[in-house]
Amino acid sequence: MRVALFVTCLADLMRPNVAFAALKLLKLAGCTVEVPETQTCCGQPAYNSGDRATALTLARKVIDEFEGYEYVVLPSGSCAGMIRAHYEELCKDDPALLARAKKLAACTYELTDFLVNVAKLESVPGDFAGSITYHDSCSGLRELGIKQQPRQLLGKMGQVEIKEMSEAETCCGFGGTFSLKFGDISTKLADNKCENACATGADAIVGGDLGCLLNIEGRLRRKGDRKTQVLHVAEVLAGKLD
Amino acid sequence: MSSRDLILSRIRASIGRGAPADGAVLAPHLAARTRGPAPGGAWRDSREGLLQRFTERATALASTVERVPSWAEVPAAAAAYLIARELPTRAVCWPSLADQAWAGAGLQVEARPSRGDDLVGITSTFCAVADTGTLMLLSGADTHAATSLLPETHIAVVPVERVVPLMEDGFALLRAEKGEAPRAVNFVSGPSRTADIEQTVTLGAHGPYRVHLILVG
Amino acid sequence: MEIHSNDFKARAREALANPNLQKALKLVQVKFVPGRAAAAAEFGDFEALRDAGRDIRNRALENLDLWLERFEQEAIRRGARVHWARDAAEANAIIVGIAQANGVKKVVKSKSMVSEECGLNDALEAAGVTPVETDLGEYILQINDHEPPSHIVAPVIHKTRDEVSDLFHAKHGKPRTEDIGALCREAREILRPHFLSADMGISGANFLVAETGSTVIVTNEGNGRLCTTVPRIHVALTGIEKVVPTLEDLSVLLRLLPRSATGQPITNYVSMNTGVAGSGDSDGPEQFHIVLLDNGRSRVLGSELKEMLRCIRCGACMNHCPVYQAVGGHAYGWVYPGPMGSVLTPSYAGMEHAHELPHTATGCGQCSAVCPVRIPLPELMRKEREMQVEAGLRPWQERLSLKLWGWSASQSWLYGIGTAIAARFLKRLGGADKLIHRLPLGGGWTDGRDFPAPAGKTFRELYRARKNLH
Repeated sequence: MRVALFVTCLADLMRPNVAFAALKLLKLAGCTVEVPETQTCCGQPAYNSGDRATALTLARKVIDEFEGYEYVVLPSGSCAGMIRAHYEELCKDDPALLARAKKLAACTYELTDFLVNVAKLESVPGDFAGSITYHDSCSGLRELGIKQQPRQLLGKMGQVEIKEMSEAETCCGFGGTFSLKFGDISTKLADNKCENACATGADAIVGGDLGCLLNIEGRLRRKGDRKTQVLHVAEVLAGKLD
Repeated sequence: MSSRDLILSRIRASIGRGAPADGAVLAPHLAARTRGPAPGGAWRDSREGLLQRFTERATALASTVERVPSWAEVPAAAAAYLIARELPTRAVCWPSLADQAWAGAGLQVEARPSRGDDLVGITSTFCAVADTGTLMLLSGADTHAATSLLPETHIAVVPVERVVPLMEDGFALLRAEKGEAPRAVNFVSGPSRTADIEQTVTLGAHGPYRVHLILVG
Repeated sequence: MEIHSNDFKARAREALANPNLQKALKLVQVKFVPGRAAAAAEFGDFEALRDAGRDIRNRALENLDLWLERFEQEAIRRGARVHWARDAAEANAIIVGIAQANGVKKVVKSKSMVSEECGLNDALEAAGVTPVETDLGEYILQINDHEPPSHIVAPVIHKTRDEVSDLFHAKHGKPRTEDIGALCREAREILRPHFLSADMGISGANFLVAETGSTVIVTNEGNGRLCTTVPRIHVALTGIEKVVPTLEDLSVLLRLLPRSATGQPITNYVSMNTGVAGSGDSDGPEQFHIVLLDNGRSRVLGSELKEMLRCIRCGACMNHCPVYQAVGGHAYGWVYPGPMGSVLTPSYAGMEHAHELPHTATGCGQCSAVCPVRIPLPELMRKEREMQVEAGLRPWQERLSLKLWGWSASQSWLYGIGTAIAARFLKRLGGADKLIHRLPLGGGWTDGRDFPAPAGKTFRELYRARKNLH
């Protein structure tokens, strides 16, 4: 399988290891992975802010860069959701582009969804030992149905115990620019998330979207919790990176 | 231009209609009376199933339900209900129930509209909906709407053959037997309630505190 | 109703700092959310029911003019009088006119959000007519100095029992009680005489049935039935979008509405009013007036937001909204709070009065996941943001930064340089504990959270270096 990895702008800037972990997992699953060099962002921040023109420019660029691969995989439910669930609306006024957008959407996957349902990865190399609690990110969950996939993969790791938190499906308060515009509400929601997560006593909070993880970790640390790890599911599954 | 015409013309502009259209296009949908999804289950298939569903649902909504074999037993059942709860035995009833032997059971029942200070109201029902444990009451000269509303206790007599599966069946019966809806069609599902304070359910908001259903047959 | 939606930020901050409100809001999550979930699960194929609800509402809106004409024709045939109001002022004038023509001194009202939208009570009072709110929640608000509701189904959800106890004690002059049953009885005993002595009852209408010309209200308390039965005049005020074609369509929506709102399979009372009493029927009003309000609805119908008109006012979107759960309804500053309000308020009250609202959601999608008629609320809020950008309503800093960021993201080489610099800069800011405590221009974030610092090099740099190595 010839797979293009869409790194996502947050992983590129904030946590390159997430992309390296994704790379490692895709290769283990038997994929030939390419990382289109000119890639930047899927356009979601502009789209959500109502700047349709900018979003369209970036969508066009993504389509140019990623069409032609058998699959496009992203370590983010939110960015995968942008391509799969929103490019169609964004490109609706340009029939030629729309056709290409639809084709791209059809072969675009969030990482864990791809590993479970397409590549059918049998075993994972991660060596995390301890308990984790999983935060279901909104876009992945509600736009792409990402729920069991990460849990199934984590379940393949012998020494991992999953402790479900209450309100696992409730938003952590990130919401992209919402976290800046309405900082105090965003913080309040992050607080609820941290409380629910920490109540499980898990060693690590794991999720599939860096935005949520930065938000959750940021609130945890501000409250003085230096102990609970906050990890991307790809990092946990991939284990040591070379 | 009148507001009516202005609003209608704005609507037409918004839905891309140049000029007033003929309402005849609505006729197929009005005639089809297509039903949507409804709760299913074996209870819909038999009379006893309907009665069981009706009883379960009505009870869940805080009504009490009992069943008597015939109309002759109704006054005694109503009296027993009121006496057991130390409720007044004076009541108002629908004129359509004036002929029942209330006095013989020890009740003082007047067949007249309720005035607001009556404590017990006795009605029958047009039909009852098993799905939700609901009475379907029609207003009329002999079936006053206020009788089921103003008193603190409402007793309703429900002939078992009038229990239908769904609300749609109630509407079908209404069309078949009455032609069109009377001034008020009231679906009543148990005593009035409110949860406005701390979302705590409290019975007896503005209507009855209790509803007792007597199934007949 | 006066609008304060542009003060959302300040109001939300107050709400977050109000311990009583925070305590009261917990109940939204504890009662409404599991209630709706249980009711949907118990129903069976609730998703099919939602599909049917969406289709029914769409069918009504596709031929809204014709269904309204049909409704009007049937209502008039049965003896009702139908009035059309293009805006709130006209609706108020019509209703005040009816009151004055009939020498009405006192009106009993059942809960109507459309009447809140119009500010009807103020108009009645200005004309010397006393409105008495009879829904328990609305009554509490009215005696509390005309406080606005904070939820469309549970208007006093923001108040604790303690606050209601204090209020009743102060206003009724009776011994203070914290027993909820006793508080309800106290209100009942005060309001019952009003029902019996009022000249006119005003209700809303959850639905208008075109087939029969009927108005339908769903209530639990019975005050709606009293308002439409006891006084000699009944006025039903509602929006033009509330029409549904047939009684079968109505039945489907009556399954969706209470389950989505409170988790009830049906409300205690579903009351369908058609025309005036026939001969011999001794109760019921002599006059039945139906006021159909536009107030922006016909415009929304022709806009990209038209799906919003499917709304059946169940409140599920706000009950499930994490932002509403955190700040409550008053923060939104008008009649309709939560996601549905964030779409409706700019449409009805004007974007300039509510430009903050389309931004007050995280886009989590929980609202559309529970909406009984499948309104894509996050998408509609996003469309409103587009409208704002097109109309130049966003602050220049935001527009400029989006354009700059978009431009650099479309120039791959420039983007690579920019992110490499940013990665190093942020790493430095993070210092030894790799946490940024104060983010330049990012106070919204770092006022309440640290910002985890990056490792110092971008993936793009590291990947290129690794490829060159091999």
